[in-house]
Amino acid sequence: MLDVQAHDEISDIMAMDAAEQNFFSDDDMTEVDRDMSKVHLNQATPDRFKTKSFPMAASNFNSKLTSMQAMENDPVILLRTFYNRFFPYKTYFNWLNYDTTPNKNFVQREFSFTLASDTYLRYNSFSDAEELRNEIERLQPVKIDIGAIYTAKPKDKKTINPKAFQPVEKELVFDIDMTDYDEIRTCCSGGDICHKCWGFMTVAIKVIHAALKEDFGFKHILWVYSGRRGVHCWVCDERARKLNNEARSAIVSYLEVVKGGAEMSRKVKLPATLHPSLTRSLDILRQYFLPLVVKDQGVFNDEKSWKKILNIIPDQAVQAKLAERWEGTDASGKSRWDDLRTELEKNEYAKRKTGDKLNLIPRDIIFQYTYPRLDDKVSTNINHLLKSPFCVHPKTQRVCVPINPDTCDQFDPFSVPTLQTLTKELESYNAANTKETDKRMADYDKTSLKEYIGTFELFVDGLLKEALERKRAEASVSMEF
Amino acid sequence: MSKPMQPKHQNRFNRTSLYKPTGEVVRHSEYPCRLNFYLRPPPVEISVEDFERFALDRLQVLKTIENATLRNKKADEFRREMDRVSSEHMRMRTGHTKEAMEDRKKDHVSHFILRLAYCRSEDLRAWFLRQECALFRYRFELESRKDKEVFLKSLDINWKVVSQEDKMNMKAELESCAIWTAKAAGIQNVKDFVENETYFEVEFEKVPDLIGRRSVLVRRGKAFVPMTEQISLVMDEFKARLSKALEATAKALPRMDEDERLKPVLLNVEKQYTGKDYGDVTNVTGKVKASEVDGLSQHFPLCMSNLHQSLRKDKHLKHGGRMQYGLFLKGIGLSVEEALVFWRKAFGNHTDDKFQKEYSYNIRHNYGLEGRRVNYAPYSCMKIIQSNQPSTGDHHGCPFRHFSAQSLEATLYKNKVGAPQVNEIVRLAKDRHYQLACTRYFEVTHPEMQSGQVGTIEHPNQYFDMSQGKLPDSDAMTTD
Repeated sequence: MLDVQAHDEISDIMAMDAAEQNFFSDDDMTEVDRDMSKVHLNQATPDRFKTKSFPMAASNFNSKLTSMQAMENDPVILLRTFYNRFFPYKTYFNWLNYDTTPNKNFVQREFSFTLASDTYLRYNSFSDAEELRNEIERLQPVKIDIGAIYTAKPKDKKTINPKAFQPVEKELVFDIDMTDYDEIRTCCSGGDICHKCWGFMTVAIKVIHAALKEDFGFKHILWVYSGRRGVHCWVCDERARKLNNEARSAIVSYLEVVKGGAEMSRKVKLPATLHPSLTRSLDILRQYFLPLVVKDQGVFNDEKSWKKILNIIPDQAVQAKLAERWEGTDASGKSRWDDLRTELEKNEYAKRKTGDKLNLIPRDIIFQYTYPRLDDKVSTNINHLLKSPFCVHPKTQRVCVPINPDTCDQFDPFSVPTLQTLTKELESYNAANTKETDKRMADYDKTSLKEYIGTFELFVDGLLKEALERKRAEASVSMEF
Repeated sequence: MSKPMQPKHQNRFNRTSLYKPTGEVVRHSEYPCRLNFYLRPPPVEISVEDFERFALDRLQVLKTIENATLRNKKADEFRREMDRVSSEHMRMRTGHTKEAMEDRKKDHVSHFILRLAYCRSEDLRAWFLRQECALFRYRFELESRKDKEVFLKSLDINWKVVSQEDKMNMKAELESCAIWTAKAAGIQNVKDFVENETYFEVEFEKVPDLIGRRSVLVRRGKAFVPMTEQISLVMDEFKARLSKALEATAKALPRMDEDERLKPVLLNVEKQYTGKDYGDVTNVTGKVKASEVDGLSQHFPLCMSNLHQSLRKDKHLKHGGRMQYGLFLKGIGLSVEEALVFWRKAFGNHTDDKFQKEYSYNIRHNYGLEGRRVNYAPYSCMKIIQSNQPSTGDHHGCPFRHFSAQSLEATLYKNKVGAPQVNEIVRLAKDRHYQLACTRYFEVTHPEMQSGQVGTIEHPNQYFDMSQGKLPDSDAMTTD
């Protein structure tokens, strides 16, 4: 009987995991994690690994670095080095705590870990940065997800009444994933990205950032590279954290423009008079449409791609007319786009009383081919987990670094530091600089991670400053009484 | 123990009367409008009989709202339904006549009774809040512009009016947001509309529906809402206040529960709207023997008779089927001992050893005797329809949801449903009204029941009970 029961409980847990998996952001991690778990199936468990095979403390670490070269491509060791030496625990804590002394923002926050063995551990919570650090270093998670702030400590979930355990606050988050662009991308598909399609992410950042700032008045917006093929956005203003699901859904539907499934050619249908927010977005899209969509993506170059665009036009005669003109010629993409516009923007269509206003189609095509595509489930539910910044993507080994929205045009996902480059950079810095001051420097300051952590620190400083001002204001109010 | 109620009421009356400057005149201005935000408890004494009658009348209205929303009624159909049920159960006459005041008093009192009944759990509160919001919205839209203004003035809500100067500064933006709003208000020229319209400046969180439709201007966190869209603002206020009040009532309730006259009435009322959850089976367990299941299966809903037949045919059911069917059987009164006998016999091809190892644990688990020791409740229609989709070899699920149209049709014909009704039921299923399709199936196969008596099937065990002649509302509807 005993082992039957044990078996039953295991299957209970597994069933729960399967049900809860859809709370994770879909970043093809599951598939990747499985790859990882295969590779390291024979590795020692993290605990034993830490005490036996890797006993050195951080202080005598430098001298041993060279001897580690044989191991330098072992992802497990590289990840360990990363968590020991590079992960910015303190700033990270200050961020999620929104203050420097631990409070419910941090203590009642859910963290979830994915281990190399493909196990999900949900509902972890920590009392301070130190405890978080110890647990991360012990478990060596291949992925860390951040969840909501609950009414109680998530680690106590099992011991408290479910009614007393409710999510109350979370950052407003957005997930933009390149796979949602597959139907309009010509260069890559699936998990792959290249310089030609990364521009979609740049536009997405600019459009969403402007709307969040100017329309909704949010100030503390953190953009993060997801490590492979997309970007995440964390809106951290107090007001954003306190939004209910209804308000989150409203914001998402306010921002969403591209709609409809695979069976629908025309995915954007906007009224003749645009909402001021979309007018602003269109100004941004226009700057990118020609260089990104027409030139780099070449959506007018081959017949298969431009047929897709012609299908958007709700008028067979116009479709046929343009197809006939383009078939078999090697006209440039730009000239075909001009053809399309000249044809559709004719006066007669604008004056038309019934039927589709064809003159609006070129505008809607620009929206369909450049406007950001959001994964709405991530944003609309306060329960949803999202991968944390400063994770390391197991497949690309790239660090999920912050992106400065003001300079996102220059952001290059291929120059983001990986576990290998970071270790090498640290090693060569230490070899060239042996002064005492160098030894006291933070390790990430010796590498290319420095600028990204700088962006992060600047962001967190802004939050702390605001928290301080609020405290002062509150204090001065209470003084008056 | 039953004492506290009286003095508390007295207190409340006194407190309320403090708000009134004088006696007689006030009696009439007690309810200047038909609309009510229900901010104060009703200052009246009522008899226990009225108490229950008022509550049940209001419930009829709220249930109609729920039904209409479940059936996805269009706006005009919804309004017609509401007009009908209101005239039957809750008239709201206009003017300031004595009858009109009586209507408003009943509206006021019944709202507060249901508040007491529905504040007990998160689910109940959410249900009540949803229906009450819909009711308020329906009534608000019936009022004339003038009556709306009178009502809103009485509320004293602080919506910041945008100054003419500010409005002119963002004229162009307001105009590009107002095209549809102006049209809906019957004004062709948007410029005129914006110029003459009063705009409110509110936090954007207050008007999620307008934000989601992109029909207002939002700037730095503020939404600029035209007067014509004020229903969104009013609904936000109504919802926020009622939601807070419900929580407050829930906290205060333990004290009121002490009144022995009220408790049974409240519990009775509460049972009405959500229906039973069939989770508490203590009073039926043991009523049914394993050998009686075959005989009773004529009263099973389609999902369960399908599982029963599959079990008989294959001498086996997969896990999903065992869960859905096993818990249902528990709900009709099969005790754990009888359940073990029933399943042992049903799985005739298995050895005793295999049965003990693989299945008996599961059965005992369902009855809360193993593992986490949770006494699992039978699945509701919602759960069967939405979770755990059946895959190859599975027989569980809802036939109206998970059968192909052809096999649903065949099954219905097999169960002697006439052609026109089959078409009707299949069409309902196709339009995703699975529970209505099931309800219709029940009505067709139980001609002795008056239609309209049935309500909507929400639980397989409810179907079973009704098929056995037990009306769901029968015990609750009698007020004596």
